[in-house]
Amino acid sequence: MRKVLAALAFLTLGLAQELVVLTHSSFSLDKALIARFQEETGIRLRFLKGGDAGETLNKAILSKGAPIADVLYGFDNTFLSRALEADILLPYVSPEIRNLRSELLLDPSFRAIPVDYGFVSLNYDRAYFRGKALPQRPEDLARPEYARLLVVENPATSSPGLAFLMATVARFGEDGYLDFWARLRDGGVRVAKGWSEAYYTHFTLHGGDRPLVVSYTTSPAAEVYYSEGKYKEPPSGNLFPELAFFQVEFVGILKGTKNLEAARRFVDWLLSRPVQENIPTEMWVYPARRDARLPEVFRFTPPPAGAVRLDPARMAANRERWIEEWTRVVLQGQDPEAVRAGRR
Amino acid sequence: MGAAALVLAFLAFALFYPLGRVLVLGVGEGFGRALANPYYWERYLFSLEYGLGSALLTLALALPLAFLFRWRFPGRAGFLALSTLPFVLPTPVVALGFLALVGPRGLLGLDLYGTRAVLYWAALFYNLGLALRILLPVALALERPLEAARVLGASPFRAFLRVGLPLLLPALASAGLLVFLYAFSAFGVPLLLGGPRYATLEVEIYTLLAYRLAFPEASALMLLQVATLAGVALLYLRLQGAALPPPVPPRPLPRGRGWALALGMGVFFLGVYAPLLALALRLEPLALASAWASEDFTPLPLALANTLRFSLGALGLALLLGVAYALAARGRLWVDLLGLLPLMVSPVAVGLGYLVAYPGLRGSLLLLLAAYALLAYPLLARALLPALRGLPPSLLQAARVLGASPFRAFLRVELPLLLPALSSGTALALAALLGEFGASLVLWRPEWTTLALAIYERLGRPGEGPFREAVALALVLALLSAGLFYLLDRGRGRFG
Repeated sequence: MRKVLAALAFLTLGLAQELVVLTHSSFSLDKALIARFQEETGIRLRFLKGGDAGETLNKAILSKGAPIADVLYGFDNTFLSRALEADILLPYVSPEIRNLRSELLLDPSFRAIPVDYGFVSLNYDRAYFRGKALPQRPEDLARPEYARLLVVENPATSSPGLAFLMATVARFGEDGYLDFWARLRDGGVRVAKGWSEAYYTHFTLHGGDRPLVVSYTTSPAAEVYYSEGKYKEPPSGNLFPELAFFQVEFVGILKGTKNLEAARRFVDWLLSRPVQENIPTEMWVYPARRDARLPEVFRFTPPPAGAVRLDPARMAANRERWIEEWTRVVLQGQDPEAVRAGRR
Repeated sequence: MGAAALVLAFLAFALFYPLGRVLVLGVGEGFGRALANPYYWERYLFSLEYGLGSALLTLALALPLAFLFRWRFPGRAGFLALSTLPFVLPTPVVALGFLALVGPRGLLGLDLYGTRAVLYWAALFYNLGLALRILLPVALALERPLEAARVLGASPFRAFLRVGLPLLLPALASAGLLVFLYAFSAFGVPLLLGGPRYATLEVEIYTLLAYRLAFPEASALMLLQVATLAGVALLYLRLQGAALPPPVPPRPLPRGRGWALALGMGVFFLGVYAPLLALALRLEPLALASAWASEDFTPLPLALANTLRFSLGALGLALLLGVAYALAARGRLWVDLLGLLPLMVSPVAVGLGYLVAYPGLRGSLLLLLAAYALLAYPLLARALLPALRGLPPSLLQAARVLGASPFRAFLRVELPLLLPALSSGTALALAALLGEFGASLVLWRPEWTTLALAIYERLGRPGEGPFREAVALALVLALLSAGLFYLLDRGRGRFG
């Protein structure tokens, strides 16, 4: 009997030490770093990939009350208000917060803690455009000769897609953005469900037929890094810094977790210098820590000047409407004028 | 009466209350917003078009086929068995078969992903066997009346028009309505093959929920769907089959023509069911191994264990409910109608209803099992009811007169006679449970990932590796479904 009890106690102890982290599908960190964290703390980490950032957040919201994880990583500033309004996160003022860039601290309640930031941006395939003219201004994209070369992500199902949509709203205004998208649609823009489909299936660099793709400013550097010496210079480049969108990714502790202490230690670890310095070459975003050094390959990707930074309150108030209007115009072929008339 | 109360209590928990909550939400907030948006109307119209088009396409091919199957030719039984196979195949399996054949990485090198063509082909793939099963007995029964008309001097065409067609119409209508019901509310196939342009209402409901968390709009669309399905289902129930002469057995063809017919049939069936073949051809044993020990996705053993655990658990519940329902519905029409309700509510809608109605139970397996049982017991009961109604009442009376209690009389006299129908119904219910997709997807929790969801999970990621693993999982699921079905049904092949 005593043996059974001891075994049970050991089992529950073992279970209590497992920390489940719900992330988007692009999450990645060095395996050695993770192993060291597990050894030092005795906390076993299990990463659960929930799909796109928005979809992952929704899964956390739909399981409110009986959370499927202890920690949620990867929701961004475009969805920040949804995460906060759903009231699924616990506040945590990590001691590491004072080391973070202050412009990333978008949630004064400290339920959403910034981990990294980056820029969604248009990429082009250098080889394809060798000897051909690149579009000169964002407006040019809507010309048929460029629209049929472009693949974007569906903003309803993809967070870079949503970020790019918001960048077009910022650039062309509440009225103009729908006309811009209507012209893209007529010109033959392709819509992919998510970033990996757009980048790895449709982009010419990876065997597709579209030399223009909505990706990140860091993607060209990533190409060099992963090419194992094949590329000395990036085979792709960024276009239109004024259409780049400033994106912050957050971590938060899920309400209802039974592992609060372990969850806090994980958040501290995520913000610690070794992890922050690992993030750039794993997830191709910039670390939130001021004192984190960037890897050498990041010299290819200076942060774009003048990237779009939208006010979180404006995104919260309009996000659903923008997605719906975009869907109507681009996927359903409705007239922008009629869609605008439907607003009140 | 106890049986009826049991079914009612279950329906109150698993159907009426959640549906009522969705109704309030949908009418209150979502209806005005959803109906004002032409986009949702287009989704609705596309669902109607897909339902109607699938019904017409299936009938157009099944009708001549049914007449050809009046002849005996080599392989006839095999072709018939093959045509019923898709009925027990889960939608992710079928969708993956199509991707393996005509997807972006397909064997044919022709990419039909996101086209109308692939959706209609899939509808035909699923429903041809169903239509054939309804039409073939009628075609065989027409033999004598048609002959009589010919003897009386009518031309073959005239005989068919004036005698055959009127007798065929009820069967055509009921097959058509069934195909419509299935295609109109289709989920797995359009979700995985249709792309954003060809989403049915059901897919749109899921998308609204999963990506935008728009409960009111999703509820409003669900109401639109339930109302349409209920209307069509009532139409279906009102259909009365004409009294038909007994069918004649299939007649032999002369040797040469028999082989010619078999050859033609083979080419046709190969065309329709090629996606299954493609699935088998794309299997790589190594992918099976990597799916088994996968670190990025739900590993095969966990998914398999979940699939078996949930299906068998829910099957127990569905058996209890199905038998209780069939007993209660034997004499009372209103119970009969009531028990059909779950067939009109889609799996995605059931999941949505549970999320709205029981937020406190979100982590509990109870919800998943309730959804599974709700979707499965009508199938079981449909198979059981005709057998139950066909029992001579005198048998039971004799047992009672001889002193058996009602329960004992049921157990010792009726049950043994019902066993064949019961095991057929169980086979059908189990096949549906093993591949359940919509409700599982909406109620998803990582530790609940079933084989069907493990396939979907891998399809969401680009690259050859996850796709190969998905193919391997699909084959495992296909073998499991078909294997268990034929084990239980032992080739009797009694459907609905």
